[in-house]
This record gives sequence, C-alpha cells and structure tokens, in this order.
Amino acid sequence: MSSLVGFISLSLAIGINFFLLFSYFFLKNKNYNFNLIVRLSSVLTLISFFSLMFSYVTSDFSNFNVFQNSHSNKPLIYKISGTWGNHEGSMLLWISILSIYGFLFSITKVADLKFKQLTLVIQSSLHILFGLFIVFTSNPFLVNSVIVKEGLGLNPILQDPGLAIHPPVLYAGYVGYSIIFSLAIAGLLNKNNDDEWLYIAKKWSLISWTFLTGGIALGSYWAYYELGWGGWWFWDPVENISLMPWITGLALVHSLLMIRGEQILKKWIIFLSILCFSLSIFGTFLVRSGILTSVHSFAADASRGLFILLIFFIITGFGFLVFLLRTPENSKPINLLFVNKVSALVINNVLMIITTLTILLGTIYPIIIEVITNDRISVGGPYFNSTVIPIMMPGFLLMSVAPVLSWQTNRLRNAKLYVLGFMIISVVVLIQSYFTTFNTWGVLGLILGVWIIVASIISIFSSYKIKFSYKMLQKINPHIAHIGVGIAIVGITCSSVFKEEYDYNINEGDKFRIKNTFITFQKVETTNEANFQALRANFLIKKDEKLVANIRAGKNYYPVSKMITSEAGIFHEWFRDIYFIVGDQKDNNWFIKIYINPFVSFIWLGVLIMVLSGFIGVTKK
Amino acid sequence: MKLNHSYNKFILIKLILIFFFVDVIASELIDEKVKKLTLELRCMTCQNQSIYDSEADFSNDIKKIVRKKFQEGKSEKEIKDFLTNRYGEYILFKPLLNYKNLFLWAFPFILLVFSLFFFIYRIRKR
Amino acid sequence: MRKLIILTPLVILFIISIFLLIYLLSNKDPNKPPSVLLNKNVPNFESNSLYNPKIYINYEKVKNKKVLINFFASWCLPCKVEHPLFFELSKRYPDLFILGFNHKDKIEDAKKYLLEDGNPYNFVGVDKDGMIALEFGVFGLPETFLINENGKIIYKFMGPLTKEIILNEIEPLL
Repeated sequence: MSSLVGFISLSLAIGINFFLLFSYFFLKNKNYNFNLIVRLSSVLTLISFFSLMFSYVTSDFSNFNVFQNSHSNKPLIYKISGTWGNHEGSMLLWISILSIYGFLFSITKVADLKFKQLTLVIQSSLHILFGLFIVFTSNPFLVNSVIVKEGLGLNPILQDPGLAIHPPVLYAGYVGYSIIFSLAIAGLLNKNNDDEWLYIAKKWSLISWTFLTGGIALGSYWAYYELGWGGWWFWDPVENISLMPWITGLALVHSLLMIRGEQILKKWIIFLSILCFSLSIFGTFLVRSGILTSVHSFAADASRGLFILLIFFIITGFGFLVFLLRTPENSKPINLLFVNKVSALVINNVLMIITTLTILLGTIYPIIIEVITNDRISVGGPYFNSTVIPIMMPGFLLMSVAPVLSWQTNRLRNAKLYVLGFMIISVVVLIQSYFTTFNTWGVLGLILGVWIIVASIISIFSSYKIKFSYKMLQKINPHIAHIGVGIAIVGITCSSVFKEEYDYNINEGDKFRIKNTFITFQKVETTNEANFQALRANFLIKKDEKLVANIRAGKNYYPVSKMITSEAGIFHEWFRDIYFIVGDQKDNNWFIKIYINPFVSFIWLGVLIMVLSGFIGVTKK
Repeated sequence: MKLNHSYNKFILIKLILIFFFVDVIASELIDEKVKKLTLELRCMTCQNQSIYDSEADFSNDIKKIVRKKFQEGKSEKEIKDFLTNRYGEYILFKPLLNYKNLFLWAFPFILLVFSLFFFIYRIRKR
Repeated sequence: MRKLIILTPLVILFIISIFLLIYLLSNKDPNKPPSVLLNKNVPNFESNSLYNPKIYINYEKVKNKKVLINFFASWCLPCKVEHPLFFELSKRYPDLFILGFNHKDKIEDAKKYLLEDGNPYNFVGVDKDGMIALEFGVFGLPETFLINENGKIIYKFMGPLTKEIILNEIEPLL
C-alpha cells in the first residue's frame, strides 16, 4: 500500500514539473503561482520518500526493495537508515534533497521574479531527469512477486550509525550544487542582465560546501573505525570523486566572496557553478555504473550507467553550451598584482582547478587506457600523493596571509611579523624533527599547518579589536576557517607520516607495553546480539599504574548475510589514537595489530571548525 | 619494531633535495623495502586495498614472495617486473612511467607550468 | 581565442563521455582485469600428480596438443558449480588435454572431492603452495586457461565457467 502511495506521489511530482516546464515555454498566460507548484512537487517527492521509509520501518516485504535490503530483526535506526542504504533508496534520497533545495529556494526573496521563475524551471528540469531515472531504472517501489515473511538483510558494514548520517549530509552537499547550477544558468539566460544571482549564490554555495565537507569527513571517520584498515583516507575512487566537487566548491565559495570587493570574476564563477554540479553527477555516475572498483560496492547495472551518463552529458553539455553562447563580458578587468588579494585568489583558484583536473585524470585514466589498449592499470594513492600534495602546497602557504592582503596594493601589513613567525616555526620544526624522526613530508606539512594557524592568529589580533560577540565571530570567520584547515593539516601530516604499527601474537592474559602505555590483553568473549554474533577482545590500558581505559575490539558475524566485519577498538587521546585490530586465532594465540595514529583527532577537530565556520558564514549578511 | 622512515642526519642535503622531490634513502632494511613496495601493490582480491594493509590470503603470499626476492638480492624494479608479467600493471598502485602513462604523469605539471607562465604574462602586461 | 577557451569544457566533456560510453558498452567487468598472459607463451610449470608423487607433469609432456588448464580446490564453492561441465567437454573433445591444478588444498580433501564429484581431468597436478598459480597470474578460484598447439595461451576465464561460455567462447577455439 505505502509502495503504491510512494510511486504515485513520485510520478505526480514529476508530472507537475513537466507541466511547469511545458507551461513556461508554451503558455503565454502565466497567471498561476510558480512557487506553489514547485512546493507541491517538493511535498509530493517527500511523501514518496517517507512512504518508502515507512515500508522499511514496518518491514513490508511485499516491497521488493525492502525484501532485498532489510530484515525484520534489525534495530529501528537501521531500518530507517536502510531506506538509503541501497541504490534505489539513495537515489530517492537524492531527488528528495533536490526538491528540498527547490522548496527552500521558492520561499527565499528574490527581487527579479522572472529570474526566480527561470531558476525554478531549471531546478524542476533537473528533478524530471533524475525522477525519470528512478522510475525507469531504479524504482524502489517494485512489488515483490512472491510472498515472503523475511527479508534478505542489510549489508553488515552499513549497519552502523555512520550510514544514518553520512549519506544524507553528503547528498545535501552534492545536491546543493544543483541550485547553484540553476542560478548560474538562469543568470546567463536572463535578459535583464544584473548580478543579483551572484549574491544569492553566495549563501547557497557556502551551505552546499559546508554539508559536503561534513559529509566527506563523516565518511572518512566511518571508514576509519569501520573498515579496520587503520587509516582514514585511501584515495579510493569514491573518495576522489567526492573530493573533486569539494575542491571546486571551495574555489567557488572563495570567488563568490570576492564580490564584496569591486572585482567580479563573473565568467569564472559561472564556470565553477556549472562544474561543481556536473562533477557531483559525474561522481554518482562512476559509483552507480559500477565501472570502478572501490570500497563502495553497488550492484553494477549497465542500463543505469548509461542513463546516468546521459543525464550527466545533458546537464553538463547544456550548462557549458549556454555558457559558450551567452558568455558575459567582464565588467571590469581584474586588478592583478604580484601579491594582492586578487592575485592570491587567482593563484589559489588555479591551483584548485589543477588539483581537481589531476584527480579527475587519475580517476578516469584507467578507463581510457583500457578502452585504447585493453590493458588495465591502477592509479592509486602513490600517484595522488606525489601529484596532488605538491600542487596544493603553495596554495596552503598563500592561504595563511591571503585574508589580510590588500585589494589594491602589493603591500602586506605587518609583513615583518609574518616573516619572523614563519622563520621561527620552520626552525623549531626542523630542530624538533632533527632530534626525533626526520621525514621530508612530515616537516613540510607541520611547518605549513602550524604556519597557517599562527598567521591566522596574527591576522586576527593585528586587524581587529577583540570583543566577545557573535558579530566579532562573523568578522574573523575567514581566519577561523583557516585555523581549522591548519589544525587539519597538522593532523593529516602527523597521522599519515608518523603512524606506527605493532604486531603481536599473544594469548589471553598477556601484557605488553607501547612507550609509556601498558596494555593487558584481558580476555576474549563471544556474545549473541540481536542480529549478529560478536567476538570481543578486552584490552585494559594502564598509564602510570592507573587504569585509564577499557577498549573492546573484535569482529561481528552476521548470520543473515554470512558476513564478518571487523570492529576496530579505538582509544582516543588528544594527541594520538591507539587503534586495535583483532585478527585470527592460531595455536591458542591471537594475532593483534595495533596502530598508533598520532594527532588523528586534530583532523576531525579541524574539519569541525571548518564546518562551524561555514555555517557562521551563511548567517553573515 | 619501528617502521618509520629512516633517520637522516644530512639535513642540509635533504632540504635541497626536498625541492626536487627526490627520495634518497640510502640503505634500508629488508623489512622497510618490503613495506615500501607492498604499499604500492594492489591486493587483487580486495577492494582497493594495498597488499601491505591487507591480511587476505593473496596478499600474504605476495608479501612472502616479495620478501624472498629481496633476500635473494633482487631489485625493486625486478620484483615489479616479475609481478606485472603475471598480474599486469593493474597490480601497481603507482603507474609506471612509460609511454602509455606519460600523459598521466606529465599533465599536472604541464598545467602548473603553463598557468605560471600565463600568470606572469598577465602581470607583466599591466 | 576567448571562445576557444570557453569551448574546451565542452570538448573535454565529449571526450570523457565517449570513453565512458565505449567502456560501458564493451561489457568489461571491473572485478576481472584482462590477463596479461593472453597470447603469450605458457609459463613453465612442473607438478606432481595428486595420486602419485613420483609422476610429474610439465609442458614438454603435453606440447603439440590443445591443453585446458583449470585451477580448482575442494574448498572453492564456484569450482563445484563448473565441475560437471568438464566431463561433457572431455567427452566431446577427446583430443583435448584437460589439466587440473589442485590449488592450496589438503591432498586428502582433494582426493575426496574428486571421488565424490568425479574426476574429469586427464591429469591432476598439485599446486600446494600456490607457486604455479602465481606463474599463471591466478588470484581467485576457479580460473581456466586454454593453450594451443604452439604453447600460446589463447583464452583465459576467471570465475566459474558456464555452458554458454564454453559453447560461445571455448568451443570455437577447439
């Protein structure tokens, strides 16, 4: 029943959008309310989404999608999140968020009504494209042809709080770019050629980028504790494709911030607006078509791949074609000096685009090579580390002072202070690493990270009188965001370069020592949980004779899907994580792997600061 | 057991080399050689995991073979050749620098140099 | 010039889409990389018989024949699925030499498996430590190779064979 409601309301929503599109171009008399129609279609899409969720919550196995991906003895939260734990449901989530953005845009104030209508029409067209994709290739409302009492169960890796929040937040980022795309195209097509849309796009781009940042970080954290590989970033194709719109979005946010000054890089902003959304769709295509091997496995289906490729081609092609035919003239030439705010921005934008193109090339190069030569190659972490990182480094160096550079002149206020700060940091880091372990990348990363933090703090104190108020926070917000980046860089550098690992083959009751930490491998227990069997090893962590923590690590066995997942145990400290993995038992001894990941928490802290600062930026007038 | 990168007292030389992105690690223990190489190898039976990080049967076999070959005094290149002759270049996470992959490796740096010249040209023009 | 720069995204879009389209339509499986050994000489191998450690096989003994090499193990479930197909194949092509390599298995288990499911192989070689599989670039069971009279690998398949694959891809080569 709820499946029927869901399908009908989704179809109606698409139908309404068709009407909107048709009437916009062919009906002369437009005396109906555009906003209301868009809102109606949004509400219908959401009804469709919630009816699928209802089927999941009530374990309605007459729905084929629920039958394939759910099981009645799952905890409620995984029944809810199971709605988007599969291809069909996640596409429904995608289109629901798309219509939420349409809804939100329809209730915002826009001075130029014609422009608003045009934006909504483009947004509705996007809704139609994805809606048709769902109806024809990924319908989550298909009826199960046989009557069953039980479902096949959800992939155990997805039975995790991570699934509940990671996809919605990530999609809120990806799909948020749709509204920017619509705004940019409407801005190009609109005959009344003013720049109102640029100011509107500023907020939306910041919202999308902030969600995308949060979504990627959540995914990364999820991978960190769920995969049990000891790392948090693997240059997996799925990670790469989320990084591309993130970087272009970052470039877009910064370019849009420049509108406050007198320089307008309009063409560039339009280009980025189109690029961000098309990279988002491109990512969806690569994941859903199953043409890349990655930790995200989705059932590969060529027809789905073809359909999304078509959508990607239509949307991106249309965007760039409009851009080609209606290229705006730059109102003023940009004021490029050797070091001023504009040139810093331009350099960073260029670096970000080169980085994106490099990641793009690395991700699709194996496909190109296989088509041409029928050989398969891999482009993995080592390639990206040795290209992306060196390209981004000058950008990081520049971002620390960019906010305080002048618009008009080559001068940097307090330049001496910054130079002195940089030199002190470099010397301290070099001496420190000379006496511990020297590593090129470690030194560079640490200097850069600390330098960004210090320079941002210098900038705050030298440019503003500090008062404690929200307004003040809004003013220094760009610096805060940059401090977040600096903290994250320190975390990224330390956790990847200075990571240590220890292997043990030990029995229950054995003790071992890692530096000043004494660890007791207490015992192994197996318990039966609601829908899995858990094997847990208990570790007691002692420091200075005091018991500080009790960490459980192990594996889960899910009988429904016959899968074993590794459940890493992580002891979080401010300056390091102790990461436990329990391996197999052999001759009464257990294989225990322990990673010491220094400063990992700095990554999450840095990202959290970036996300908070993103939301503060949204509230700014 | 500390698997960190090796000590290097020649900081000055190292610092100069940093800027050319050259990695000079004069003498490594076999353990570190194995680690360095297996980190760049794909576990063919896993999803995008390196042989070093994986505990799969396949990975453990390859780790053993790599170690054996290093002990026999084979060079990293010889071992890579040995593996690619059997499993294809697919096993290498770091693509070889050959004609086929030239564009892949050159592209980012061509773009970088090109943008640099363009930027300088624009500043000069003012 | 300006228009040309703005045209580049469209050109890149076209190129990428065409490559993706070709890739999608060519039925490639991302989990099965193409073999580098195809059209190369068969690697050297030497293996003892499962039933008699004194008897051994190498390529010299089967040259000038078409040889079908199949890697299997008793613990491998998909192998059990394709197993019966080899009986049919050996019945219809008596000249074909079917060589089975028992991969990382216990001798007893392998013997039991072949007793229960029958033995379609002309020779069963033991690959206890997986070194022969390594030479053939095998990383998942089952895998099947076809070698022509000149000692060249002319066909390779990963995963369990099916009737259709034998009919459409292997038989035309026999």
